[in-house]
Amino acid sequence: MQFQGRKFATSSVAVLALILSACGGGGAAPTQPGAGKDTAESVTIAIASDEGTLTPFTNQTGYPGNNLVKLIFDTLAVVEGDEVVGLLAEEIETEDNQTYSLPLREGVTWHDGEELTADDIVFSVEFHRDNAEGDSAVDVSMIEDVSANGSTVTMVLDQPDPEFPRMVLADMAILPEHLWAGVKKVGEAGTDLAIGTGPYVLDNYDNASGYTLTANPDYALGEVKVDTIEVAIIPEESTQFAALRTGEIDISTRIVPPQQLEQLQSESNIGIVEGTEYAATLLLFNNGRPPFDDPAVRRALTQAIDTEDLVDTALLGSGTLGSPGFIHPASPMAAGDSGSPYDVDAANAALDELGAKPGSDGVRVLDGEPMSYELLVQSTSTDRLRSAELIREMLSEVGVEVKISSMESDSLDAKVWPDYDVAQGRNYDMSMWGWSAPVMLSSGLIAQLLYSDPVKGPLNVVGFSDPDTDAALDALTSEETLDGRIAAAADLEGQVAEQAPWVTLYYRDGAYAFRSDTYSGWTWQDGKSALHGFSLVDYDL
Amino acid sequence: MSAIQASVPATPVARRGRLTFLGGRVLEYLAVLIVALTLNFLLPRALPGGPLKLFGSPEALARLTAEERAQIATEYGFGDPIHLQFLDYLHSVVTLDLGTSLSDGRDVTAAIGDALPWTLLLVGTSIVATTLIGITLGVIGGIRRREGKGAFTLTGAIVVDSIPQFWLAMLLIVWFGVKWQIAPTFGATGPDGTTVAGLAQHLVLPVATLTITGIGYIFMYTRSSMLSVLTSEPVQHAHARGIPRGRLVRRHVLRPALLPVHTLIMLDIGFLAAGAIVVETVFAYPGLGRLTFGAIAARDYPLMQGTFLVLTLMVVLMNLLADLTYPLLDPRARTGGDR
Repeated sequence: MQFQGRKFATSSVAVLALILSACGGGGAAPTQPGAGKDTAESVTIAIASDEGTLTPFTNQTGYPGNNLVKLIFDTLAVVEGDEVVGLLAEEIETEDNQTYSLPLREGVTWHDGEELTADDIVFSVEFHRDNAEGDSAVDVSMIEDVSANGSTVTMVLDQPDPEFPRMVLADMAILPEHLWAGVKKVGEAGTDLAIGTGPYVLDNYDNASGYTLTANPDYALGEVKVDTIEVAIIPEESTQFAALRTGEIDISTRIVPPQQLEQLQSESNIGIVEGTEYAATLLLFNNGRPPFDDPAVRRALTQAIDTEDLVDTALLGSGTLGSPGFIHPASPMAAGDSGSPYDVDAANAALDELGAKPGSDGVRVLDGEPMSYELLVQSTSTDRLRSAELIREMLSEVGVEVKISSMESDSLDAKVWPDYDVAQGRNYDMSMWGWSAPVMLSSGLIAQLLYSDPVKGPLNVVGFSDPDTDAALDALTSEETLDGRIAAAADLEGQVAEQAPWVTLYYRDGAYAFRSDTYSGWTWQDGKSALHGFSLVDYDL
Repeated sequence: MSAIQASVPATPVARRGRLTFLGGRVLEYLAVLIVALTLNFLLPRALPGGPLKLFGSPEALARLTAEERAQIATEYGFGDPIHLQFLDYLHSVVTLDLGTSLSDGRDVTAAIGDALPWTLLLVGTSIVATTLIGITLGVIGGIRRREGKGAFTLTGAIVVDSIPQFWLAMLLIVWFGVKWQIAPTFGATGPDGTTVAGLAQHLVLPVATLTITGIGYIFMYTRSSMLSVLTSEPVQHAHARGIPRGRLVRRHVLRPALLPVHTLIMLDIGFLAAGAIVVETVFAYPGLGRLTFGAIAARDYPLMQGTFLVLTLMVVLMNLLADLTYPLLDPRARTGGDR
């Protein structure tokens, strides 16, 4: 199965190349967003898999599932550029980052015609608190009290949190109490519950044709620019790009593979919307297993890996070098470019100092054991497969043998993060891994990657444990202002670079292709890519 | 055994024998079905990972307490002891209530009911095309075995049989979909909904993929069977007596030669439904294959069990049908054999 998956992925790349080469370039100038049509009667969006009934508790993926849900269900706030501004809430008022007062906009109605009330907001908070399941479910455990007074909602947090507007208010889908109050099993919520206040109404969902979303005629928060959105389910990446070229779809939700980017950009009717993805690709070390429990070994191996070569070769330059401190250099919390630690001589010297001497086969022996390790990699990810091959070569330069095991992603997850519960331990030496954009954009989630305590560090899949880092995390999460958190994050980055619990290899750049002759209003939003409200609605906020 | 036999009317003894034969066959199929049902239940649970991932993003799942995990598992039926789950599964099969999909809360029977007609349309069309073309070429290949074209056709069939479905599907998309734009690249219906023309257009490339990759097998089997009969002693003898080749083939060769091909095709119908998974996935065709693919990827136990059950039943039923229809084509089977 593993080998088949790898062949399938490799075949996909080859076929993509064939699609592009067979069709010819066209030679016209690249079309940029904004150069074509600003409105459209209908666009077709291709997604890779079924997203269920498109309620906040039944969509299957964060992207693009959550993005589609947010076209149906509005949130209290929305991220516009770097700012968080009110959406259903007219303003976000707080003096201490602990008590938030949210006056609601007037004239907002649900898709069934009922009026939105402050009680719906209170209900939504309580419903999300009681139902932690679902890909669009939001952690609201920090809200100690929520109350409604007329058309104003007040939320009191357990401690000051300057990221609350971005992480909760701009993410929590608001639910209609009159429809959701009786729901017991959220996982079985049907399309009859996909009723929000958002710019689009779910009109149809079936196995054969996918989804149809139509513009909400009573939308009070702005002007909807596309009348109908057809969502087609096309699992195969190559088919999506073929359909884009024929005009059967108007935008693909798959990132354009780096090797195809230039060719697609040269197509006259195809535009590309690009931006920072923030998703990080990592090389994990199992910190609980010798010799990776020794920070000196981890640092030495980190020094042996040329991340610049990985970006140039595996991503063909369509990526950003991984920061040793993990946080993306473009993130507001990043301390700045700390440079790559790559230094083969230093890596060899460090391993020599640790007493790891080359054996007869050239592989170093440390504490009586050959430095030969298994590296897990997802068979369906071509850039990670290529990166793993390159890492094998790089580590062989310092006398460390790597045996690559390519496997289906669920099999890999079961070894690295069994049942998504770090308390169950882990069973690997090294693994290719990735964290999605939301993790990078929240100090709370970054802390969860590193805390020694599994309760506070539920994302600590490497089993990292260090008291000094725990202290740095406490300092980060207890800061009451955003500036304070940014300063604390800089200290944390230093700790991570020093301890090297993993190697942050790179952050892939995002590039999405669309038909500019149909609709070219697609814009980039950090953490949301191209499929979000600002691409489809001219908001009046 | 003689390849040319006269049909002999069935005697009461033969009828009793046939009933015993059928009874035995039914029992055999029941045993197969029980084993298959057990495997259908066990295989999803043997896969790494589980359905928990359906209930949130990894980051959200990581926050769940042990109690919350247990509550979700119990609520959706995958937290009970394995023997109780198995009994529930058997009960659902017997009552034809296959439960609810963990992915989206849809009724599994309804989801399969939506997908199955598309697969039957796709597989049915390709079976007809594959059978007609494969048998025709196989018969010609057998008759003209000594001519240059025969060898050429055999080589071509081997090549075609070796082409991976995924690769061929993508090639067809590239040339007929993207380059010449004479066929849609995905889906089952056009923007105007379910029209006959739209259905036919969307069938072209998936059917062509299944047909081309299926022809080689049937061609080679038919050709081999033809050769076996053509070189048999009675046919050689008839040929020596001066019976014209066309009459010889029509009257004395085709029927015995196509008997094993009939069995092969019946089995193929059952397996093709499962084999359409790749084609349905590549062409985003909304049939049982795509549903199965999605269910496996999502670790949706009820949906996986449901789709596996239908695929199993199709294979078993086609086997049974092959057994039942074989005596209609071969008189020897009606009389209990070559006596």
